[in-house]
Amino acid sequence: MSDFYLVWKNISRNKLRLILNTFAIVIAFLLFGVLGAINNAFNAGVELSADNRLVVVNKINFTQPLPISYVAKIAAVEGVKAVTHANWFGAYVEGSKVFFAGMAVDPETYLDVYADFMSVSDTHRQAWQRNRQGVLVGEKLAQTFGWKIGDRIPISSNIFSKTDGTHVWDMVVEGIFTGAEAQIDTNFLLFHYKYFIETQTFGSDWVGWMVITTDDSNLNDQVANAIDEQFANSAHETETSSEKQFNKSFLEQIGSIGFIITSVVAAAFFTLLLIVGNSMALAIRERTREIGVLKTLGFSAHHVFRLVLSESVLLAVIGGVLGLLLANMIVNGLGQVPQIKNMLPSLVLNGDILLTAFLYMVALGLVTGVIPAYRAMQLNIVEALSRK
Amino acid sequence: MWSQISSVISMNIRSIPQRLWMSLATILAVAVVVAVLLAFLAMGNGFRTTLQGSGSDELAVLIRSGSQAELNSVLSREQVNLIAESPGIARDEKGPLISAELYLIVDGIKKTTQGKANLPFRGIDERGLELRKNVQLTQGRMFEPGKNEIVVGEAILREFAGFELGNIIKLGRAQWQVVGVFSAGGSVFESELWADVRTVQGQFDRGNSFQIIRAKLATPGDVAPLEQTIKADQQRLNLDVSTEKAYYQEQSQGVGDLIFYLGWPLAIAMALGALAGALNTMYNSVAQRAGEIATLRAIGFPGIPVFCGTLFESLALSLIGGLLGTMAAYLFFDGISTSTLGSSFTQIVFRFDMNADVIINGMTLAAVIGVFGGFFPALRAARLPVLLAFAAAA
Repeated sequence: MSDFYLVWKNISRNKLRLILNTFAIVIAFLLFGVLGAINNAFNAGVELSADNRLVVVNKINFTQPLPISYVAKIAAVEGVKAVTHANWFGAYVEGSKVFFAGMAVDPETYLDVYADFMSVSDTHRQAWQRNRQGVLVGEKLAQTFGWKIGDRIPISSNIFSKTDGTHVWDMVVEGIFTGAEAQIDTNFLLFHYKYFIETQTFGSDWVGWMVITTDDSNLNDQVANAIDEQFANSAHETETSSEKQFNKSFLEQIGSIGFIITSVVAAAFFTLLLIVGNSMALAIRERTREIGVLKTLGFSAHHVFRLVLSESVLLAVIGGVLGLLLANMIVNGLGQVPQIKNMLPSLVLNGDILLTAFLYMVALGLVTGVIPAYRAMQLNIVEALSRK
Repeated sequence: MWSQISSVISMNIRSIPQRLWMSLATILAVAVVVAVLLAFLAMGNGFRTTLQGSGSDELAVLIRSGSQAELNSVLSREQVNLIAESPGIARDEKGPLISAELYLIVDGIKKTTQGKANLPFRGIDERGLELRKNVQLTQGRMFEPGKNEIVVGEAILREFAGFELGNIIKLGRAQWQVVGVFSAGGSVFESELWADVRTVQGQFDRGNSFQIIRAKLATPGDVAPLEQTIKADQQRLNLDVSTEKAYYQEQSQGVGDLIFYLGWPLAIAMALGALAGALNTMYNSVAQRAGEIATLRAIGFPGIPVFCGTLFESLALSLIGGLLGTMAAYLFFDGISTSTLGSSFTQIVFRFDMNADVIINGMTLAAVIGVFGGFFPALRAARLPVLLAFAAAA
């Protein structure tokens, strides 16, 4: 009779209790998996940012414009490898209410600066660069609207109007880009800065922000300081920060998402400890006589300790694995919902979450089992057998 | 029958100490679940209250058509003048009660994260102040037209660093002095910085453009005359008009709904976990009291009192848990101030607000856990065959 057989028989002797305990554990790990994936998706922008990419924005706030003349000046700063610029457009398809990110960019340099971030074939790239009305569409966005190469699409802005009084920019899909990694959001489009700036009504010499890469990430601080000093006390002061820092501080504007998620998961695990811990203690108390019998048969105290502990760990692992399976199904399902796809494009249950979850399962099993196991180990045979 | 029910209930309740730890675990589990739900609901409720309390039925707001929020909008002086002539707007001795305002975003430092946050910077004139009845200066004085002076909302002072009275803030090349602090009845305006509209236009190169028009309506709630004006001159007036109340109602939807839709599924999932705990406890209660239940049945008690006893025990545990959770949530969450990014892309400061609705929701969840957690064990207790129960107890 193997130990595992014994442990299994013990754990499944009260089917109802097994089901209830497993269910409670499933719920906790389900929450852990889903919330962990959501938290990661929120942080994806921070995690995926390149070390040597910096963002230059207006010091007053990143929604304030900067003069286009800065692009050339920044390119001349020592340590700057490449510069590009972008303008926020706030796009939607004329006639629909679905908003997505659209940016007017410099077609010659934008893809170089983001070479590690998105990939696009050379033919698409060149076709897009040649056509002033060309648009480069993210894979996810293209899927959402069923766009194909060559399609003419009417794109509107919730911010800008055209000099002719209309709001619709006609664009031609010249290329479709994909993310360099699965977690990268491709729910946006890029079109020509010239097409944008020459047709909208807000002046003709400004950009939204600039993005640069440095020769080496060790030069980041030096380059950032050199840029900001150059424009200090001008009408348009700049603030240069690493892409990671910029994304992080934007995320923090929404709120302490990480803190909220951690608190909820902690609350769920706390209730779980109460429920399963008590239940384990009760199960062992009920089996006092049997443990006496085991010891009479020659099972050592340590062996009994191990048996009881294995029981609680097994319970935690069964519930935990089921919970994660369920979490995976839910995360995949949520990822298909259009609104969620827009907000959290990179929702996946990754290896980090699974590994942490597994450690938590073992920890949960040990914590809930250790006191009952210790009691069982200490149990005196005579006393155990005489108890009812 | 009633005396039988009440005597069984009291037996159940008095036997709880025999299952002290399991019962406590159930109470605590329910308390945690209820507290989590209440925290989310109080957050969503506070956010909505702040935004919905901001809008008035007596005012109309006009923004560029399709722009959804004032940040995206742009209006010309000409458009403002055309709207000023429109019927449907209230007038006084100085002319139409209309305020053309500028709205842009500047950086502030959030105290909690020490990170930069988008703050709304509004340019208004004396008409704009006259239209906002609930604005009151709590410190200092109002800005003077033509000077680089700002007044800040109380919520800004609470959540963001560096806006204390007398401080000088540098925005671009210009220096601005904080000369006053105002309250605005807990509305979203308390999360804003205000300055003279012409000065802001000048310092931020906005020419003579605006972003939003507020107008006092001749008849509260009636924007039809304004709609007529816009329709009649669509070439020049491509504007959306709504009451201020409807405008902020709309603004509150996205984030407010999100908090509710996050809170409920989380609470329900956790409630299912707590339910498993409650069922465990109650089945254990029935098993422990098998002998007692068999005795009751043997001396002629019908199944119903036995059923009620167990159900009531479960309900009592859950409701105690619910009360505990409510108290904890009230102590820890109610009234705390926080801020998030609103649909205007700027920070909105609000307070967690636990009103009666929120508390009723929490207690209902506790009661549901209690009823389901007690029902099946109670059924088992009521159906326990007497002989088997005696055998099990022996």
